[in-house]
Amino acid sequence: MRKPVLLLAALIAVPASAQLPGLRRRAPPPQVPVQNPVDVLRADFAAQSGGTTVYFANGSAELTPQAKLLLQAQAAWLRQHPDVAVRIEGHGDPADTRDHALALGAERAAEARNFLILLGTPAAQVSAMTWGKERPGPPSAVTTIVPPSGGPALVPAGG
Amino acid sequence: MTARSLVIALVAAAAGLVSSSADAQQPGAPAATVIAVPPMTSPDTGTKGNEMLALAWQATQLIDTDLQQTAELMPLSPDRNDYYSYPEVTAPNFMKWRGRGAKALITGFVKSRPDGRYTVGCYVYDVDKGRELAREGYVVIPADLRRAAHKCSGLAYKAITGAPGMFDTRIAYVAETGSPAARVKRIAIMDSDGFNHKYLTPGDTIVLTPRLSPHAARLAYVSYQGGVPQVRILDLGNGEQRPLLAGDAMTFAPRYSPDGSKIVFSMMLGANSDIYVVGANGGAPQRLTVAPGIDTDPGFSPDGSRIVFESDRSGTQQLYVMNADGSQQRRITFSTAAYSAPEWSPDGKYIAFTWRMGDTRRIGIMAPDGTGEKILTAGPADEEPSWAASSRELVFQRTEANGRPAIYRVNLDGSAPRKMTVPQDGSDPNWSGTMD
Repeated sequence: MRKPVLLLAALIAVPASAQLPGLRRRAPPPQVPVQNPVDVLRADFAAQSGGTTVYFANGSAELTPQAKLLLQAQAAWLRQHPDVAVRIEGHGDPADTRDHALALGAERAAEARNFLILLGTPAAQVSAMTWGKERPGPPSAVTTIVPPSGGPALVPAGG
Repeated sequence: MTARSLVIALVAAAAGLVSSSADAQQPGAPAATVIAVPPMTSPDTGTKGNEMLALAWQATQLIDTDLQQTAELMPLSPDRNDYYSYPEVTAPNFMKWRGRGAKALITGFVKSRPDGRYTVGCYVYDVDKGRELAREGYVVIPADLRRAAHKCSGLAYKAITGAPGMFDTRIAYVAETGSPAARVKRIAIMDSDGFNHKYLTPGDTIVLTPRLSPHAARLAYVSYQGGVPQVRILDLGNGEQRPLLAGDAMTFAPRYSPDGSKIVFSMMLGANSDIYVVGANGGAPQRLTVAPGIDTDPGFSPDGSRIVFESDRSGTQQLYVMNADGSQQRRITFSTAAYSAPEWSPDGKYIAFTWRMGDTRRIGIMAPDGTGEKILTAGPADEEPSWAASSRELVFQRTEANGRPAIYRVNLDGSAPRKMTVPQDGSDPNWSGTMD
């Protein structure tokens, strides 16, 4: 029962991702009715920007040159998609204590957000939050597209 | 559970002799005081008498268990052959207990009341001198008999060591289940002996760092309910909860002031984490730190006049102390290690902290001026120390070799940490003061 469903999903995903590099600004979204439009946007964002995640040195919230390059690409994509809100989720170091990890994750997310704003991204388009050390992984900040409706209210009203 | 005080005055209570023995034991003192804990008695007779004696036996066993947990007292476990009559509660056979090597003795009784409650009387004696050290009585509903026994343990502990007992206290923590990538976290609370365990949040959102108010009537914690971490307040009496602040700012690291009237916490403003204080019932937060970078994990001194916190303003995480209004911020640790998660001891003598070097985390203590550092645990992943009311023991989180967090207790005397039994994995433990 489970297996055929998975196969079907895989079949649908292939033509969808094949179309992604050809996506242009104002191009209509690909007509793949079973695929969540947010997932399509996310895939396009990741492909066009070169990634969703910027990495940090342990204990640091300083943006590396690579991080800045990636954020520049993200800012370019966001300029082309002014209606899409993103949330930057910061992560602390796994070896941090709980509250310091929250603060460091928030600081990393805020540094990435500030850099996007510096590059012209409207403040209202990008929010920031922290996972502290609640999600395993390397020290990072992940830019993720916020679903337009439903879900938790993650976009601050006034930016 | 009633929030009202259990303690009643016993008729003809002796003058306080507690202070005379307060210096008998210090933390780290090698010898434990042997204390006799014969089965408590009852003035009731007949069927009622048998019922009360059964309850008195349970209470006695609980006191024995409580005192066995301490480093300072060594109970002679209760033996039914040592049963004594009601008049002997206040006129014990000191000769007999001297012969058994006891230096101290607990006697007491459980008595039924017409209203269905019980009176529990508790007496502590110095066996060598043949004199009373302390007495206290408690009127409790049947469900609170355990608490009366814990109060009795605390009376003996305080009479002999001079430090408040931590038996009638609670421990809040985060109960964890699920895979590392999809952890389910719930705030849980239990009596310090592990009984009366219950969950306070449903597990549908990530929750962190429960911090109890001084007498465990309320609890501040961090929840992702609104999508970002924010401090919420839970009333343990009626179950009501609310956000500490209105708005969508990220807030975390809450701790109550010693009188319960204020909460100090961290709030993000852009990339800056600073320390703020606000009334426990709300109001406008007052900002206490303005340094760039991370200032977090604030906690009050027991007199409420100062706040210890961690800051990376020097480039590494170090501990600082400031006045409660934010003035006179001064660094107290100067080391190549990183220091975080400080908590001031209830007696004011120590600050406990998490010591970190590379990925190794250990629990340590130092004087509030930063001198006398002593590392108590070996790690490699120990954090979040929280003091017992006695100021002689800490509860902390240890991530074990299998990657799962557990709750441990460690005594200041240098003995090995002991794992506490909780139903699931546990993190972020917080130990309350003695309940009213």
